[in-house]
Amino acid sequence: MRIRSIIFLLAILLFLGPFASAARLGHRTGLPYQEAGLTQRQAAAILLDRFAFGARPGEIDRVVAQGLENWLEEQLSGNRPEHELVGRLAPLKTLTLSSREIATAYPGPGTVRAQAIREGVISRNDPPTDRAETRQKLQAFAQRKGYRPQRELTEELMTQKLLRGVYSENRLTEVLADFWYNHFNVSITNNRARPFVLSYERDAIRPHVLGHFRALLHATAKHPAMLLYLDNAQSTASNGTMTTMSQTTKRRGGMRRGEESQTKEEPPKGRPSQRGINENYARELMELHTLGVDGGYTQQDVIEVARVFTGWTVLLPGPRGERLQKHLSRANGLGFAGDGDFLFRADTHDATQKIILGETFPPGGGMEEGERVLDILARHPATARHIATKLAVRFVSDRPAASLVDRLTQQFQETAGDLRALVRAIATSPEFWQEAARRSKIKSPFELVTSALRALQADVEQPRPVIEWVTRMGQPLYAYQAPTGYPDRAEAWVNTGSLLNRMNFGLHLAAGRIPGIVFDLPTLNRGREPESVEAALETYAALVLPERDLTETLRLLTPVARDLAFAQKVDKAARRETEVSPEAPSVLQDQSTGVAADDERPSAPVREGSTVTMPTPLAHVVGVILGAPEFQRR
Amino acid sequence: MWTRRAFLKAGGIALFAAGFGGSPAFLRRAAAASTQPGLAPRRKVLVTVFQRGAMDGLMAVPPFTDPMLPKLRPRLAMTAARSAGEGALTDLNGHFGLHPALTPVVPLFREERLAIVHGVGSPDPTRSHFDAQDYMETGTPGRKGTPSGWLNRAVGQLGHEGSPWRAVAVTSALPRSLYGDAPALAVANLEEFGVRPAGGKELARVASQSFEDLYQQTSADLLRRTAHESFEAVKLLSRPEITRYRPAKGAEYPRTPLGRSLRQIAQLIKAEAGLEVGFAESGGWDTHVQQGTTTGSFARQAQDLARAITAFWTDLERHQDDVVLLTMTEFGRSVRENGSGGTDHGRASCLFVLGNPVEGGRVYGTVPSLAPDALEEGRDLPVTTDFRGVFSEVAGKHLGIARDEILFPGWAGARFRLLRA
Repeated sequence: MRIRSIIFLLAILLFLGPFASAARLGHRTGLPYQEAGLTQRQAAAILLDRFAFGARPGEIDRVVAQGLENWLEEQLSGNRPEHELVGRLAPLKTLTLSSREIATAYPGPGTVRAQAIREGVISRNDPPTDRAETRQKLQAFAQRKGYRPQRELTEELMTQKLLRGVYSENRLTEVLADFWYNHFNVSITNNRARPFVLSYERDAIRPHVLGHFRALLHATAKHPAMLLYLDNAQSTASNGTMTTMSQTTKRRGGMRRGEESQTKEEPPKGRPSQRGINENYARELMELHTLGVDGGYTQQDVIEVARVFTGWTVLLPGPRGERLQKHLSRANGLGFAGDGDFLFRADTHDATQKIILGETFPPGGGMEEGERVLDILARHPATARHIATKLAVRFVSDRPAASLVDRLTQQFQETAGDLRALVRAIATSPEFWQEAARRSKIKSPFELVTSALRALQADVEQPRPVIEWVTRMGQPLYAYQAPTGYPDRAEAWVNTGSLLNRMNFGLHLAAGRIPGIVFDLPTLNRGREPESVEAALETYAALVLPERDLTETLRLLTPVARDLAFAQKVDKAARRETEVSPEAPSVLQDQSTGVAADDERPSAPVREGSTVTMPTPLAHVVGVILGAPEFQRR
Repeated sequence: MWTRRAFLKAGGIALFAAGFGGSPAFLRRAAAASTQPGLAPRRKVLVTVFQRGAMDGLMAVPPFTDPMLPKLRPRLAMTAARSAGEGALTDLNGHFGLHPALTPVVPLFREERLAIVHGVGSPDPTRSHFDAQDYMETGTPGRKGTPSGWLNRAVGQLGHEGSPWRAVAVTSALPRSLYGDAPALAVANLEEFGVRPAGGKELARVASQSFEDLYQQTSADLLRRTAHESFEAVKLLSRPEITRYRPAKGAEYPRTPLGRSLRQIAQLIKAEAGLEVGFAESGGWDTHVQQGTTTGSFARQAQDLARAITAFWTDLERHQDDVVLLTMTEFGRSVRENGSGGTDHGRASCLFVLGNPVEGGRVYGTVPSLAPDALEEGRDLPVTTDFRGVFSEVAGKHLGIARDEILFPGWAGARFRLLRA
């Protein structure tokens, strides 16, 4: 009996062998899409929609061939080679410069002017900078010094983001960099922070998005961009408060020299003009970066945390920074510490006792107090829940199920904020795959643009015009002024103005009216021409929106496509009435090159009645698909 | 020769017959009785102008009888003496004068529609433009994390159905003042609002109609609702008050960004598109260098401001009763002129409030003697009126908002009386 059942079991195992191993493999990360009634291809499309900026043509096939779980694991490793991207980024000058080199090469206009006055190039009594003669002098001066305009820096910053979004092989890393930058938002609208934003994303965000939360927290806390943006660089012990340095000198003086001699210790000069604590970083650290607004801290905790971070500041380039550095080298042993641009100033750090969230920080502490606060905050249960909620909102739905948030919270606590484990936990959650979550997120303008460029397999020759569309649709890159970052919910992205611009974006992109973006619609369909408007619609909707249920979209789009094709004939005929326009492709059938011909010439602004090549009906159909409700969702 | 319209009527149908079966939706609709978009009910309108860069309140509205002024500002102080002719200040009340470049607004002041509040500023002493603007726009001095702007919260308190054009910034990006949950639009140019494909007019009309149909039938709720509002907004713009807009007689807007912004805000108001909160801005007030007196960088900006505001007011015509305009700037400038013939970042400045409900013709607020011991830190005009007192008075009374704690969370001060109840 027993033997028989064992044999029976063995037989079953043998028979199911190949399937069982696949099941085991699936269980490693166990993506439960089948339970949600999805095919492998549909699941691949969802992965590419959420963990990448949308699918490229043929990409679903590749992900399925690789295996969904393997694809995700490879993305979690973040080390796919970047052949194409490297070449695309190569012309950018700033990406490899240190933040100090950037700040030196791209000084703000105020800094240039002050230096020009110091060096006698212009005088204080010259007319203001907006007058031509002064401007010319300053430009010549900046050129001699090798300074570059900050506009170039911010343009490269935005360019690299767009190129990475479109071309990076490490899709998940890009999506996460976008998420974590927004979580720890800084803004180029802030003059002081602006030169440091590029290195902030590169050095403080990117290296840690597949690491641990604590490391992100540390890196952002010490980066000049954050220290300047949320004013911690100016936060100092209030007047008369014992500082780390005064305490050290007192102790030493008492032992060696007597109190009156302590002034000979050379305290560094260049003390910030505004004395006193600034609470901004402390407050946002708890409210936005870690605990969340209802995370259980008080205003007193904000003040105490601000006191802990007094003296955490920036060593800026320029004469003042150089003077400070010189003094620092002589202030050995007084508790100062430097690390790149970061500077801990023992002479402005409040060294008296603090009590934070019930924990006592005894008097006499220095820089390590800040690290201890970051530790406390990173392992606080409120932080786990806050981060879990934000991740669930980003990757699953604007209103995520409590069960999902609970699971992610637990995962955060069990793994001490392992960000990779959190992504895995999301992908293995049934909530991620459920019907309710599907297509429930509205793409941000950046997601819309990158996913459209990917869907059309577009060549980004010149990124600036398309980046302007991202701005027009309501997401100026790196320029959200508030430390909250862009709100991550549909209502924030979809308002009357931005929605119309989404439609316009679709039409302009497909018609080849966004300069610098080149693609070829017929090639997408392997050069085959659709036989009719309806066929074009069906073919291209499936190409641009792979693996989606397109019944509704096609039903709605068919009359639209007809109207468009028809209107086009009307316009063209109207044009022939008044002028002879250059050879314009007229209907689907008589075009052989699609919009490629349009793309070759940079498009001029379109003026009514001027001789302009009409966009082809095919381009219009694709434009409408890109502007349609379905393409706005992921 | 055929007119374009005639062609569309005849030739269009012919083409259609040759091309497709079934009648295109847009022609059916065109044939149906054209319905005018419904007018929004007339509402009170608050228009704010942010003067970015920090306007020198002591040059705009100088206390010219203070003997310290010419001492501290040897190159910048001006006189109200008639002997100075065109370059003289307008004597407003025997103590305060008005910069000659602001002369266009003098009649509004004399008619008691324009009030000036002096010594206005923020309790937060920051001298950073970025921070001070941020604090003024969020309405929470000292707090950067406030997610919304005070104007957006004001919109949220209006308490009635709003038009898609309810809250509009005529700027390229949404200003911090309008960040928040209430729908708000940033439109740099009304002419570019709508569905505008490359190609012909007909194509644009059809594309627009197509998207409207498409979004009307989508199952995604938010997209459907918002699209509906968007196309309503577009239709409101198709009203002749917008498309064939000519400013009222005598309203000559300066050809400057501010002039263009206020002109478009006037367009929206006169088209009765439902505007309730309008936002415009003007730059160039950061006069560190060669500020000038009757001419120079300050005078240029001041003239732009005065001409834009007066043109706007004239242009409003019968809508004047509905509108109050409020200017604001992040801080004032140092009382003492600097070594470059300019002024540096200071504390208090002044602001202007224009409208028929305003008890105008007066300079409100407290400006102490400019003797150094009366100044903040011995150098700056002290803030004697919290900007929130003025903003809550103007927005509260004019728009009928009772809850100041929503507009300015954490503030328990009193409104600064300026408007008739």
